[in-house]
Amino acid sequence: MKKMSLLSIALVGVVGFASNALAEIKLTYSDWQLAQEVWGKSLNDVIDQFEKENPGIKVAREPVQLAQRDVRFSTAIRAGGGPDVFALDANPVRQYIAEGWVRDLTPYIQAAGGKDFLGDFYPISLQPVTVDGKVYGLPMNTVAMTLVYNKKLFKEAGIDAPASTWEQFREDMKKLTRSKSGSGPVDQWGLTLVLAPAGFDLRVTSIVRGFGADFLTPDGTRSAMDTPEAKAAFNYIVDLIQVDKSVPPGATQVDANGARRLLANQTVAVKIGTTWSYPEVSAMNPALDGWHTLGMAPIPRSAGKDNQTRTTLFQKTVFVNQNSKHPEAAWKLARYLTDPAAMRRWFDDNNMLSARRSVNEGYEKISQSESARTVAAEIEHGAFLPQTPKWPQILDAFRQNLQAAVVGSKSRDQALDDLNRQINTILE
Amino acid sequence: MVGSTPRAGYFYVLPALLLMIVILGFPSVASVLESFGVGTKGPIGLHAYAKLAGDPEFYETLRNTAIFVVAVVSMHLVLGLGTALLLNQELRFRWLFRVLAILPWTMPDIIGGLIFRFMFDTLTGGVNAVLGALGLASAFDWLGDPTLALGTVIAAEVWRGYPYVMLILLAGLQAIPQDQYEAAKLDGVNAWKTFLHITVPNLKPMIYLALVLDAIWECRLFGMIYGMTGGGPGISTQNLSLMVYKQYFQFFDTAYAASVAVVLAAVLMVLAVPYVRLALRDEK
Repeated sequence: MKKMSLLSIALVGVVGFASNALAEIKLTYSDWQLAQEVWGKSLNDVIDQFEKENPGIKVAREPVQLAQRDVRFSTAIRAGGGPDVFALDANPVRQYIAEGWVRDLTPYIQAAGGKDFLGDFYPISLQPVTVDGKVYGLPMNTVAMTLVYNKKLFKEAGIDAPASTWEQFREDMKKLTRSKSGSGPVDQWGLTLVLAPAGFDLRVTSIVRGFGADFLTPDGTRSAMDTPEAKAAFNYIVDLIQVDKSVPPGATQVDANGARRLLANQTVAVKIGTTWSYPEVSAMNPALDGWHTLGMAPIPRSAGKDNQTRTTLFQKTVFVNQNSKHPEAAWKLARYLTDPAAMRRWFDDNNMLSARRSVNEGYEKISQSESARTVAAEIEHGAFLPQTPKWPQILDAFRQNLQAAVVGSKSRDQALDDLNRQINTILE
Repeated sequence: MVGSTPRAGYFYVLPALLLMIVILGFPSVASVLESFGVGTKGPIGLHAYAKLAGDPEFYETLRNTAIFVVAVVSMHLVLGLGTALLLNQELRFRWLFRVLAILPWTMPDIIGGLIFRFMFDTLTGGVNAVLGALGLASAFDWLGDPTLALGTVIAAEVWRGYPYVMLILLAGLQAIPQDQYEAAKLDGVNAWKTFLHITVPNLKPMIYLALVLDAIWECRLFGMIYGMTGGGPGISTQNLSLMVYKQYFQFFDTAYAASVAVVLAAVLMVLAVPYVRLALRDEK
């Protein structure tokens, strides 16, 4: 009898364990920042916490290199697979939606409170993920691009802070381009631009926005790079490199990481970046004491102009894969990663602002940070890059023609004419 | 018995044939169909090819590919043959020189591309630093100036890829009967004439083979160029493989990417014809 009881208990245990194992949902989460040391740790910690609070769900983490992200995702999703939940920046979002690769989250959002749930997100942060009233993703971080500058080098050149107008900014960049020793060849330049593909989208477009220009007409059907503002921005960039030589040689090969390195080594005094520049530049050269040496300032504008939109926004958004076999659990994870508690963690660890207004305005550490306040204030003056599935082609045409003008293989007018023609052809 | 029937040959090659169909056949057919819009969100027809025919970027890319392949393959032949001749001599530490000569070939192309990118960096690269130390002009924008970029990429790939040609030619040199050289020596033939009338004719099939295989390899090269320039500045170093990659994975224009891939495959097939003919002739 005793033996029978023990056997029964063991059987119940085995069956219980087996049914638990069967009931356990396995999700996969993929994010390019999982591959980064600090970001990876904070993401893993938050997901560990999610697993604790949701005992039936396990999350496998799949780091992916940013450059390989779309290759991996698009191949896997086309083949019927891919991670259940994944993160994207704003650039390819409309392509993913147009291809039907991401799940419409509207029903889940309605169940979570609908407008009340969405009300905490900046309205602009929902723009890239909303098509025909359907919401396809949950914004995680939203930041505006600003100038990141070396306060020490500015002081040495007798300049207080970056100018608010492009005209004065150009003069300051000339002053900052000099020989550090006072004699000998130039070994310090005013600023670095990002003309290589990695990082070009956010940085150079901020200059275009700063001049009050945009890439497409408001209805998105034609190129707007033929406006006087767009021409001024285009010529300004070429002038900085070709005429003033305020940018280090080899400008067309500098990518986002190269720009950080130039700022970290004090080879340049200014780059275009945002809050993430602090941890990244500081890690490249701890001796710089980046958290104290670097400052942030809004993107300048043309003298006498007061354009409302003057910079480009970056956003990281979480999506649920259309192929996910566990959409409910995937939604739970996406919601958890964009919860205010997680948002505060992203700021603590990575200096990244939230897509939720309540976090940016209510979290004490953000209000106490001058740089975070600067960037948060600029969100109101920012815009995302054009939300069309054709955007990557348009961006490529812009980069190619700008590079051609910079290296002199096309005249500026020719490059601009070609750019307008190419954009219009792409949009046709 | 299966092994002695005439059909046994077909039976034995069946696994390899099936593998070829699965690995090469299906994707090839899928790519051709995709280039006509089948399985894409776009219209079905010749639209992608019509776009290709009118796309200046495609012609510039084709031109870049042609210049790159002709320059690299011809320099591989010169360098590969020269090195093979040297390493075929009785030298002390010949094994060490052979290992050193093969080293560039062991480097994955993407890694090679990134290393060369750092070496040719305008500000911090080793090449400009050496030129500066020698008192020469040292501010060359090797990878950013369109007049220099393609040449720089060619130079890097010449270095990385020559051991492949060298190995084929070295094998060919070792297969040349020594009695021919001995007879020439007895007749008092000088080194140049020996090379011209004994080495070259004997080596001809291997030179042919090396040229064809190398041209095919260089035509589809991706990692080296992607790592060094990403196809830039502008598209001055973009080849067909990079264009396929960009159209497929950045623009998600699958039909257009497939049409470029089909053109690339057609070029490779044309290049492969001499190789196939050579192989069939050897069998006969």
